[in-house]
Amino acid sequence: MTIDGQKVDFAPGETIYEVARRLDRDVPTLCYDPRLEPFGACRLCVVEIEGQARPVASCTTKATAGMVVRTVTDALEAHRRTLLELVISENRDSGDAFGAGTPAHVDPLRGASSQELSTLAARYRVRPGRHAGAHSGHSRRDDDNPFILRDYDLCISCYRCVRVCDEREGDHAIHVGGRGFESRILTEFEGHLADSSCTFCGQCVQTCPTGALADKKALRAVDLPGELTKTRTICPYCGVGCSVDIVTKGDRMVAVQPAFDGPANEGALCVKGQFAWDHVQHDERLRTPLVRGADGVQRPATWDEALDRAADGFRRAAAEHGAKAVYAIASGRAPHESAYTIQKFIRAGFGTNYIDNCSRA
Amino acid sequence: MAAPPATDRPSDAELVARWAGEPAPLLPLLHAFHERDGVLTDDAIRRVAAALRIPLAELYGTVTFYHFFEREQPGRARPRVCDGPVCRRRGSAELLAALGHHGAEPMPCAGRCDEPIPVLVGDQQLVGARDGELRDLPTPLPPKLSDDRLPGWRECVFRHIRTEGRAALAGYRATGGYAALFRAIAMAPAEIVDVIAQSGLAGRGGAGFPTGVKWRLVAEAEGGPKSIVCNADEGEPGCFKDRALMDHDPHAVLEGMAIAGRATGAARGIIYLRYEYPHTLRVLEKAIREAERDGLLGERILGSEFSFRIHVRRGAGAYICGEETSLLESLEGRRPWPRNKPPYPVTHGFEGLPTVVNNVETLASVPPILLEGADWYRGLGLGDHAGTKVVSVSGDVQRPGNYEVPIGLPLRTLLQDCAGGALPGRRIVAVTQAGLSGGFLAGADLDVTLDEPALRAKGSFLGAAGLIVFDDSRDMVAVAADGIEFFAHESCGKCFPCRIGTTRLTERLTGSDGPLDLDEWRSEVEDICATMKATSACGLGLAAPLIVESLLRSFPDDVRAHVEGPAIET
Ligand SMILES: Cc1cc2nc3c(=O)[nH]c(=O)nc-3n(C[C@H](O)[C@H](O)[C@H](O)COP(=O)(O)O)c2cc1C
Ligand code: SF4
Ligand code: SF4
Ligand code: SF4
Ligand code: FES
Repeated sequence: MTIDGQKVDFAPGETIYEVARRLDRDVPTLCYDPRLEPFGACRLCVVEIEGQARPVASCTTKATAGMVVRTVTDALEAHRRTLLELVISENRDSGDAFGAGTPAHVDPLRGASSQELSTLAARYRVRPGRHAGAHSGHSRRDDDNPFILRDYDLCISCYRCVRVCDEREGDHAIHVGGRGFESRILTEFEGHLADSSCTFCGQCVQTCPTGALADKKALRAVDLPGELTKTRTICPYCGVGCSVDIVTKGDRMVAVQPAFDGPANEGALCVKGQFAWDHVQHDERLRTPLVRGADGVQRPATWDEALDRAADGFRRAAAEHGAKAVYAIASGRAPHESAYTIQKFIRAGFGTNYIDNCSRA
Repeated sequence: MAAPPATDRPSDAELVARWAGEPAPLLPLLHAFHERDGVLTDDAIRRVAAALRIPLAELYGTVTFYHFFEREQPGRARPRVCDGPVCRRRGSAELLAALGHHGAEPMPCAGRCDEPIPVLVGDQQLVGARDGELRDLPTPLPPKLSDDRLPGWRECVFRHIRTEGRAALAGYRATGGYAALFRAIAMAPAEIVDVIAQSGLAGRGGAGFPTGVKWRLVAEAEGGPKSIVCNADEGEPGCFKDRALMDHDPHAVLEGMAIAGRATGAARGIIYLRYEYPHTLRVLEKAIREAERDGLLGERILGSEFSFRIHVRRGAGAYICGEETSLLESLEGRRPWPRNKPPYPVTHGFEGLPTVVNNVETLASVPPILLEGADWYRGLGLGDHAGTKVVSVSGDVQRPGNYEVPIGLPLRTLLQDCAGGALPGRRIVAVTQAGLSGGFLAGADLDVTLDEPALRAKGSFLGAAGLIVFDDSRDMVAVAADGIEFFAHESCGKCFPCRIGTTRLTERLTGSDGPLDLDEWRSEVEDICATMKATSACGLGLAAPLIVESLLRSFPDDVRAHVEGPAIET
């Protein structure tokens, strides 16, 4: 087949979009997530095929031999601009408690894909106010779950959230109600996520291209000064080994986002990896070592004092009962470096493999 | 409507047991609970979800897609009054007000534009007058034209429909019924397909795809069991032909389906009937029972190897379910968003298996074609055009009704000689095509023949052939606004251009939103129409802009007055 004048081979079953992507053609999309079945809602990915009267959605159309495809023409670009102007026109500025979000500007703390719409709006120089009319989508501020903000004022009905929940998570917690302009994302009987089969894995948040679904914990940091930085690591909670980006603002950890190129998870996380990180900066965390006195009460101590005390205890136990009397369980809440160190300590220090990690459970 | 006494009330378990093992069980099971309780309760939805293993959120969402599943009192007893483009001009607002104390609500065109105003109360199909009087009247028969008005045209599907008793099996057989099925059973399947292909019969439901080609693709497709689906959703405003066919000649549809089954190797037939036709449901169910009793449907028909069973499934109020892939999704119990095509139903239809989807009229044409031959049918058309088309004519004419005319007939001949022309003292200014989907023709464009090439050259299409006529007393901006509002109401919401575009166009045509400057107004409207026509995912969004474009083309002064006029309409 030919794409924009370039001859290219394709694998059976490949879509035009996938082939174009391999050629680094920047075909715009909003309803597309490479992990999901092709859906064809946003129609931004339309391309022209020689001999066909109308453009086709490249994300749902399979490549065939001899096809001559154009991904950029004046007509296609005009349709894309109209589509973006239409979709921006249905959004309401999100003046929620977090103060974030207008159709054109959405705080990146909301989620990993939250900048897709605003990026395309800028790329296509969307004219504000064009095609003005009724807004669709109604935020569910009544849903007071601690994790997921359901700010549907920003929703554009791409149904990525529904599809990721069905196809990737298998939770089937949310679906689409109503029809047409009144289509809306809901749980059964329009209730709250906590009363549905939602597991709060956050997948819907992270695929949402508008920030309509947002990470409530991350949004606590909206007003913190500083740039957002992402640091790639692996979730320590279990043996799956999901790749994550730790998002920091200044010296504060503010969010976890899944890595879409993580080999074990392809952007998936569970509720623990996604949301259970408050302990890292928790006020009640110990900042000085404590040692227990003869009266059984713990008192602050210096590091030397504490480490000597611990070393004595280990030595005594090993001397009296043998090296196998010492057994270490590393915590899933500690980073990998700590887990590595503790297994080294047991294996090299005591010569046993009496070591485990709570994440193995 | 009072709930039936508790003792007659089937239990949940009985309802589930009745339907859970049947093909396409979701809609009938939901209807069974809906009919028993008058509304669909949370408990019923939970019960159905568990029985059919559908996630609860999905089933709840799907239930809210359809217009007629009631969740609140008065439930199914709530009168529904047709608010379609014809009935709006025949007093539907007054009728709605008159029935207001019963909780009446509007419904989109309910397919009786020749004798308005249809009203649905529970399973009663009634006709209402402006003042609120409701009557139970039979579906009008197609008007009989005297021979001098029919210069040598012959009918195909209507040729026996006016015969007394034709709807019953005895009457049908007395006029040659089921002779075509006997013949089909004696023929090789490929021969049947050849006859249909040579006849030039093409789909009468809207898209006009050659029926013989469709059947051949299904006959040759790998895999099975195969199905014949009769599309009886007839949701297009201004179309009421399938209703007349089914009510007065139901066996013709059943026979056409059985022949399609024989030709393609399908043993299962499903009729997808729109919710608004409960009387038709009873007619079809009775006809199926009669045919089964006489061995004309069921196992080993007439002692042959050929078996064919027909099931009726009732829709729940959604125009998009007439789109064939949306219809299949609806049958399969999912949210009825149209599927991405290809693949097409001929290979990936009902339950992903080869399926013929044909319109009622297409299928009813099959028995006469098989009896009289392909050449006979071809010869019914004018010029190069093959066959006939039933056209539903309504609105501002003397004799609205269903007329079966030769394809290629001049529009003006139909309006004048069949429908009797304009009302006294009036002049016809515009005629819609394909119900509302083809937009309207006006002025010199009314000099056109009724065939796809001629109508497409004018930016329209014949489609299912519903013609709504408007005379010089009508506000054409309001007509176009009603049209696009219908499409906005019926857009399934899957794709952006249609979901948002139909709403924006409605706002601009009703004047509730949009620019006040004419050039800006036109620029927005034209952009939206162009993008919808180029990028929509299915026929609804592709066709919806035509009515707006026809307004811009034919009535530019009315548009100017609408945009720049002193007051915004309310
Ligand atoms: C929005 C929409 C609504 C449709 N409604 C109907 C309908 O009510 N009845 C029908 O037969 N075809 C309808 N069609 C056409 C069907 O998709 C399909 O082409 C037809 O049922 C095939 O049968 P035929 O080839 O015998 O016409 C509709 C199409 C669209 C896009
Ligand atoms: S909430 Fe987000 S992902 Fe879900 S449909 Fe709306 S815009 Fe798409
Ligand atoms: S705990 Fe959850 S997020 Fe972490 S690695 Fe395991 S599955 Fe992945
Ligand atoms: S064109 Fe309209 S009806 Fe068809 S898929 Fe798109 S939104 Fe649904
Ligand atoms: S990416 Fe193809 S339609 Fe959205």
